[in-house]
Amino acid sequence: MHLKAPEHQVAGHIAKDGKPGPLVDDKGRFFKPLQGDSRGEIEVKFYESFSSNTEVPDHIRRYFPVYHGTQAVEGSDGAAMIVLENLLSKYSKPSVMDVKMGSRTWYPEASEEYIQKCLRKDARSTTVSSGFRISGFEVYDHKELSFWKPDRKLLNGIKVDGVRLALRKFVSSNTLSDTSSKPDSAFASSVYGGSRGVLTQLLELKTWFENQTFYHFNSCSILIIYENESIHDDGARAQVKLVDFAHVHDGNGVIDHNFLGGLCSFINFVRDILQSSDESTDN
Amino acid sequence: MKMLKDPEHQVAGHMAKDGRLGPLVDGEGRFFKPFQSNGRGENEAKFYDSFSSNNNVPDHIRGYFPVYHGTQVVEASNGSGKLPHIVLVDVVYGYSNPSGMDVKIGSRTWYPGVSEQYFNQCLKNDRETTSVSLGFRHAGFKIFDHQESRFWIVEYKVVHGYKVDDATLVLRKFVSSNSLADSIPDCAFASEVYGGSNGILAQLLELKAWFETQTLYHFSSCSVYMFYENESILMKGGGGARAQVKLVDFTHVLDGNGVVDHNFLGGLSSFIKFIQDILES
Repeated sequence: MHLKAPEHQVAGHIAKDGKPGPLVDDKGRFFKPLQGDSRGEIEVKFYESFSSNTEVPDHIRRYFPVYHGTQAVEGSDGAAMIVLENLLSKYSKPSVMDVKMGSRTWYPEASEEYIQKCLRKDARSTTVSSGFRISGFEVYDHKELSFWKPDRKLLNGIKVDGVRLALRKFVSSNTLSDTSSKPDSAFASSVYGGSRGVLTQLLELKTWFENQTFYHFNSCSILIIYENESIHDDGARAQVKLVDFAHVHDGNGVIDHNFLGGLCSFINFVRDILQSSDESTDN
Repeated sequence: MKMLKDPEHQVAGHMAKDGRLGPLVDGEGRFFKPFQSNGRGENEAKFYDSFSSNNNVPDHIRGYFPVYHGTQVVEASNGSGKLPHIVLVDVVYGYSNPSGMDVKIGSRTWYPGVSEQYFNQCLKNDRETTSVSLGFRHAGFKIFDHQESRFWIVEYKVVHGYKVDDATLVLRKFVSSNSLADSIPDCAFASEVYGGSNGILAQLLELKAWFETQTLYHFSSCSVYMFYENESILMKGGGGARAQVKLVDFTHVLDGNGVVDHNFLGGLSSFIKFIQDILES
């Protein structure tokens, strides 16, 4: 089994200081190290529960990575890893964005220390104001023929206008490293719009969140992926996926109003960009 | 001007009874709400001014807000002299025996920019009550007990201490005809009050649709006030429950700044699910 570090990680843990990071193989699988202090257990418990939950409709199941159990992997000290579908394996040049959903990342079951830490992060970012924050993104520059990602520190400090700019840059083709030129949003309608675009998928998810009381997806992210290779001929093949389930808890008969509120806010941002880009192409 | 007296059917908030400062009614359809301290009264008047002249609010949504008639200086209920009051149309005017319930919407009652002290107080309240877990909490209610022929009112301290099960139970009791002391509410009026094309659920869903796109205002600490007529509910052809939803309490409304009120919307969606569940059971 040939394992290597994944190419397009935009957020989350990477291999650092001897601690294992995620790995991918050549068979379309993604290996995620079990995170310490019960988070890994919670994530496994979620995947186990979710894969066998017959009340989750099929059209919603496809928004989640396929789960292949856990496995001890050579070269990671025999530590168990969560085996998932590699969401990027069918893409050759993917642009990827990770958006952490919810106006709070803490939850009642968390420790006081964790809650305080989250409160600080949520207040400093757009989480409190907008109901979500962009954890990271990487976008393909069609002019430079290379990938670009914004500086992590800069991204952490952005406000609402910065979010709008990032969402425009994410679907632009022009030189992104040149901050003086305005993003052209050239791919806004192929990525965000259309009968199978990001907006349609988010709206489908929203309907499920208005009713499902199985899980509370604390601190989960929505990953947005699309293909840059032959985007003009073959389309963007945009996909929305939910990822990162280390803090998922039982819904206990209550909807995940925190995630839902944030999702509705995010939907509004995407819709605004789609509408303004539609208007500018009409001119 | 007619003599002002304290409202009969108030369910939450500061009350004018016993010489305290609270709202007054003129018995002719007007409701006088004293300006709350620390600038909150001014904020509320400012919101009502803005809202009444905001052309971007559709008419069918405007109906969910009390009609505003400016401010007026009148004799305060606690004898402290003349104070500015917000003048509104009394939403329960014309109802003889309304059951009413005030539910504060949103998993957080604080908002960016508040003082640390206010933030800590709000966070404590939100965590201790059902706000964080459910996205809403009960602020007060007055439910007519058809067996006892009188109103069931619960002390604020007790309501504030409600947990998830208590919240569910009281939403069921709100539409029940059996004794409210019974632990199993019969929900006999659920379809008349919550259901139907003009019922509470239909109204909440209409409000929710507006909240999915409106970015004009962020309604921190606002309540949904729902009420219905008991007098006609048991009579055939008696005019029905006339259930209504109103949004009230605008002391902490902020500019939306192009972002939807995700805090209110999340809480409202959760509240809607609770009502739906009661209707379906």
